[in-house]
Amino acid sequence: MSAPVLSVDDLSVEFATREGTVHAVRHVGLDVHAGRTLAILGESGSGKSVTAQAIMGLLDTPPARVSSGSIVFEGTDLVGASERTRMRINGEGIAMVFQDALSALNPVYTVGDQISELLRVRRKLSRSAARARAIELMERVRIPAAARRVDDYPHQFSGGMRQRIMIALAVALNPRVLIADEPTTALDVTVQAQIMELLTELRRENGMGLVLITHDLGVVAEVADDVVVMYSGRIVERGSVEELFQRPAHPYTRGLLRSMPRPDREDDELWAIPGAPPSPLRAPGGCAFNPRCDAVVDVCRTDQPELRLIAAGRHSACHLSQEVFDGRA
Amino acid sequence: MSAPIPETTQAVAVPTAPPSRMDGLRRFVTKPTGALSLAVLLLFVLTGLFGPLFVDRPGGLGTDILQAPSASHWFGTDDLGQDVLAQVVWGTRVSLTVGAAASGLAIVIGTALGLFGAYSRRADAWITTVTDLMLSLPLLPLMIIVTAIAGPSIATLTVVIGLFSWPEVTRLIRSNGMVVVAMPYIDGARALGAGGWRIVTREVLPAVVPLVVVSVLLTAARAVISEAGLSFLGLGDPDSWSWGRIMLNAQRSGVLSTAWWQTLFPSLAILLLVLAATVAGVRFNDTRDPRLKDR
Ligand SMILES: Nc1ncnc2c1ncn2[C@@H]1O[C@H](COP(=O)(O)OP(=O)(O)O)[C@@H](O)[C@H]1O
Ligand code: SF4
Ligand SMILES: [Mg+2]
Repeated sequence: MSAPVLSVDDLSVEFATREGTVHAVRHVGLDVHAGRTLAILGESGSGKSVTAQAIMGLLDTPPARVSSGSIVFEGTDLVGASERTRMRINGEGIAMVFQDALSALNPVYTVGDQISELLRVRRKLSRSAARARAIELMERVRIPAAARRVDDYPHQFSGGMRQRIMIALAVALNPRVLIADEPTTALDVTVQAQIMELLTELRRENGMGLVLITHDLGVVAEVADDVVVMYSGRIVERGSVEELFQRPAHPYTRGLLRSMPRPDREDDELWAIPGAPPSPLRAPGGCAFNPRCDAVVDVCRTDQPELRLIAAGRHSACHLSQEVFDGRA
Repeated sequence: MSAPIPETTQAVAVPTAPPSRMDGLRRFVTKPTGALSLAVLLLFVLTGLFGPLFVDRPGGLGTDILQAPSASHWFGTDDLGQDVLAQVVWGTRVSLTVGAAASGLAIVIGTALGLFGAYSRRADAWITTVTDLMLSLPLLPLMIIVTAIAGPSIATLTVVIGLFSWPEVTRLIRSNGMVVVAMPYIDGARALGAGGWRIVTREVLPAVVPLVVVSVLLTAARAVISEAGLSFLGLGDPDSWSWGRIMLNAQRSGVLSTAWWQTLFPSLAILLLVLAATVAGVRFNDTRDPRLKDR
């Protein structure tokens, strides 16, 4: 595999809050490759969005603080980069699609204005050229009657159409990396599939690296190439999708797979990992997953397991990773 | 590449739909308060602009001294025999000019600092401190001192009133700007590479423009009062008429208690203008507030 376009290494983010320091992200490492889809999978609160915000430079500092690590995009470390560097890379190098398109689009401008403004400022297009390109982009993301709808405001579109418009904005400058943070969570199932298909298509066409943040295993199975599983701010498992789904090396991943509804096992009632993910302020000692783990041993309550290589391209952070991987625990 | 896919269009709760300009004006005047306040403001502006074309500049000595209001002198005359109506008309021009210019100055400074404070945490600490300090100062004595030192003139009045009136605007714009800065679409803009300048001018400013309009009206009303007050204290421009100066003349010539018309009419003008500006401001605010759409 060629060198990654975006490489996050040892990233830690903490928030200063009234109740204490929240370690939202700890020692996270990711590589995003051109033309591939990396899924970040995890329950709500596991630190997926904070990771994305750190990459995009959207964290408010304070209260947030990047306490360790680097985010290297095409040779430039974005941690502590100047506003000028950020302004150049955001949109053109890395772009992002948010979960809630309605609130991520400015309500007082037409969608056409928002797309053309971007093109006029960054691509120095004339007013008419930018408008024409905006319509093209809206057609590209399959907005019906784009030429007419270009003058509509965001609230005049349906949820799925708005998400398409945000995608059009995000790909307007041909970014090398596109981060999509739960882009379909707010949408109904058929629309979800269409949006995922569109993102995959654009990734292939533009050769972008796609980072897909989701809590939906079905989506991961369908569109991702690689996956990292996050739990309580840490990466607990990493690998290619086929291998990881075939042979998980972490009890959490194994539990997630078991809780996935499967058409070939209709007799099974829906199973879920017992308990809930810990609040980052009250994470248990040792392995954060230990209160919910079905393979827990004594050492899990005292020692934090490291993310270790267990097979080619496979990493897991579990004291029993080899046993789980081999199906012995 | 492929044909557009039809998609179920779901009804969405319409958020702050930007009303078209005409629509806004129509809604503004549908309530009597809106129409009336606008009419009064318009009347003052027209009087200030064109009144002096029809009424001679008051000056010199007249024969009808201290006449009560009558058919020939609607607002009566003063101790020099000058027509009070003419003074009020000419005064309208100065009072409005000072009010508008001082308000403009205060709005520009106040909006700029308010937006800057809302966007930049670092600048905010300073801006808040200075604003609070300014708001806690006794303004009238300060304005008197500064005007006295700088030498009374229309320009001095304008600048002094403007420079002392921005803190209210800053506070209003800052607190509302902070709400906008916390909106997810600001992150959306930053994710697309918008810098501080573009976010403030393109995203935050348009969202607070309605408040700026309201501020212009309220600040202008306050500025007119300040102008009248300072002029009444003898700190106005001695060479031009203003509402405060008419009352000052009444006080100086010792007729304050007898020639009621000499103070009543300029006072009424001030009251009416301030009331109209305030009502218009409130009404404008109501029209813009989506929660009060049916009003
Ligand atoms: N601004 C903030 N202040 C304090 N804590 C925060 C803030 N943003 C996120 N967090 C905390 O960081 C953790 C990770 O959040 P997030 O990345 O949003 O999770 P998710 O995986 O659901 O996207 C959560 O526990 C959340 O409470
Ligand atoms: S380290 Fe222990 S508690 Fe954590 S996942 Fe592995 S077995 Fe379970
Ligand atoms: Mg999230």
